[in-house]
Amino acid sequence: MKVLTIARNTFREAIRDKILYNLLFFALLMIAASLLLATLTVGEQSKIIIDIGLASINVFGALIAIFLGIGLIIKEIEKKTIYNILAKPVPRYQFLIGKYIGLLITILVNIVIMGAGLYIILILNELRWGHSIFDVNFDIWKAIYLIFIELMVITAIALMFSTFSSSSTLSAIFTIAAYIIGHLTEELKLIGDKVQDSLLKGPITFFYYFLPNLDNFNIKGRVVHRLDVPSSYIALVTVYGLFYVAVILLLSGVIFQRRDFK
Amino acid sequence: MHALLLKAKHPFVIPLMAALAFSLYIIQHQIAGYKGMEKKIEEFVILPKGEYLKPAVIGYEQLAADIIWLQAIQVIGEDTVTPKGYDWIYHALDVVTTLDPKFAYAYQLGGVTLSVLGKVPEKSNALLLKGMRENPDVWQIPFYIGFNSFFYLNDYRSAAEYMAKASKLPGHPAYLPKLAARLYVQAGDPDVALEFLLRMYKETGDEKVRAILEQRIKEVIVERDARFLEEAVRRSKDVYKAYPEKLIELVERGIITGVPREPFGGYYYFNPEDGRVYSSVVKERMRVYGK
Repeated sequence: MKVLTIARNTFREAIRDKILYNLLFFALLMIAASLLLATLTVGEQSKIIIDIGLASINVFGALIAIFLGIGLIIKEIEKKTIYNILAKPVPRYQFLIGKYIGLLITILVNIVIMGAGLYIILILNELRWGHSIFDVNFDIWKAIYLIFIELMVITAIALMFSTFSSSSTLSAIFTIAAYIIGHLTEELKLIGDKVQDSLLKGPITFFYYFLPNLDNFNIKGRVVHRLDVPSSYIALVTVYGLFYVAVILLLSGVIFQRRDFK
Repeated sequence: MHALLLKAKHPFVIPLMAALAFSLYIIQHQIAGYKGMEKKIEEFVILPKGEYLKPAVIGYEQLAADIIWLQAIQVIGEDTVTPKGYDWIYHALDVVTTLDPKFAYAYQLGGVTLSVLGKVPEKSNALLLKGMRENPDVWQIPFYIGFNSFFYLNDYRSAAEYMAKASKLPGHPAYLPKLAARLYVQAGDPDVALEFLLRMYKETGDEKVRAILEQRIKEVIVERDARFLEEAVRRSKDVYKAYPEKLIELVERGIITGVPREPFGGYYYFNPEDGRVYSSVVKERMRVYGK
């Protein structure tokens, strides 16, 4: 129950954050602007809208996860409120998990708002061309769902960095770097396949399997062209995400447990 | 921002800001004057190959493809685009389709404009063949390759083969198998070319492409009518042992029921020197379908 209380408080605190509203505002603005950009194209207008919309949800979702995620612990330390909490009979790992869940709920709410915005824009686009609203590509929700799983991983990474770093800027840079690396993991496999040297092949294979492979969660390209995404794939990737989150949270717990607050 | 608004109480701040903003508008207008249309296309030259761009856009391939696509289609069809410009447009579309290989419409529009507007059918076919590999179920792509082979590369055999491929794909129009079959046996016949062009005209949405196709359709009608009239002249000569002075004599002699209307608004005339029929508007007879 303590976890849920912390989660609830984290959520309340997060929705008071100005950064959140700025990011949400820009995301919705981008999604709405896609309607304008779509008029520049010939052929499928909805492709441009979905591409811009999903990319906005992904980018701004990641920014929310990174900037609120790193603040989770660091802010508590800066404001010295962490002493009050840790003085109470709350195990540190519960505090950590509570914070994590609170932020996930915040992100979920934001993702749903952005997704709904995109969906409304898509409906408007279909109506503008005299089509039925049932022509709207419903599969965008599959892509949005996997974006959320990706953000779960990113939030966990941000949280982990904030458990041992005392600088928000540094943690932000680390997390953004992890985000970029996570999207380049796929390239590692290509390099690994080409490398003959077994001394080099070993580390490359190791990193390929143990760095987060964020491209797994990227089905934007398939969804926009209405290509089938098997449910088994979505299930498998969800499990991958959850396991990755579990590993990072365990690691964060260990680091946080040992951290000495002076 | 807040501090700035507070300072705005000074009487000169707002006029100064307005003056600066207006100056910015003037300066930007001047800068824009330096950037012509050709400059815009030249930017495609510095576009890295799609293979290198792909890792750099970390999971946002579709968005990156859209940005290049939107830039490219603003330029396509502009009269200022030089033949070299179409090479760059090809490069841009190649990058777009490497980033987003399932973007079938990019192959289709690119394929048509590169051949019909850009007169670079080889590049058009290269793009379309890439599209066929990535989207084997889209019938329009082999249809366009067939069109290029027929009208620009004069390769009737390959035109017929691609048309046959298109006619086996889902969603193909009902006329397609018949057209493919006719291409195999009557490739030199203007009627086949005419049907092909009319179908192509219906499949294309681009106004510039349609204008060129319309011109081409009329030229083929001229060729068809000219052949029809020459055949009538020949039959007339067989009977009367002399060329008619005017084409209208063919009607008077009951060989044909009427002289076809010239589609460009001109008229047909018979030249006894070479025994051929010409249009008053289209001076040269089409060589493509001539035997």
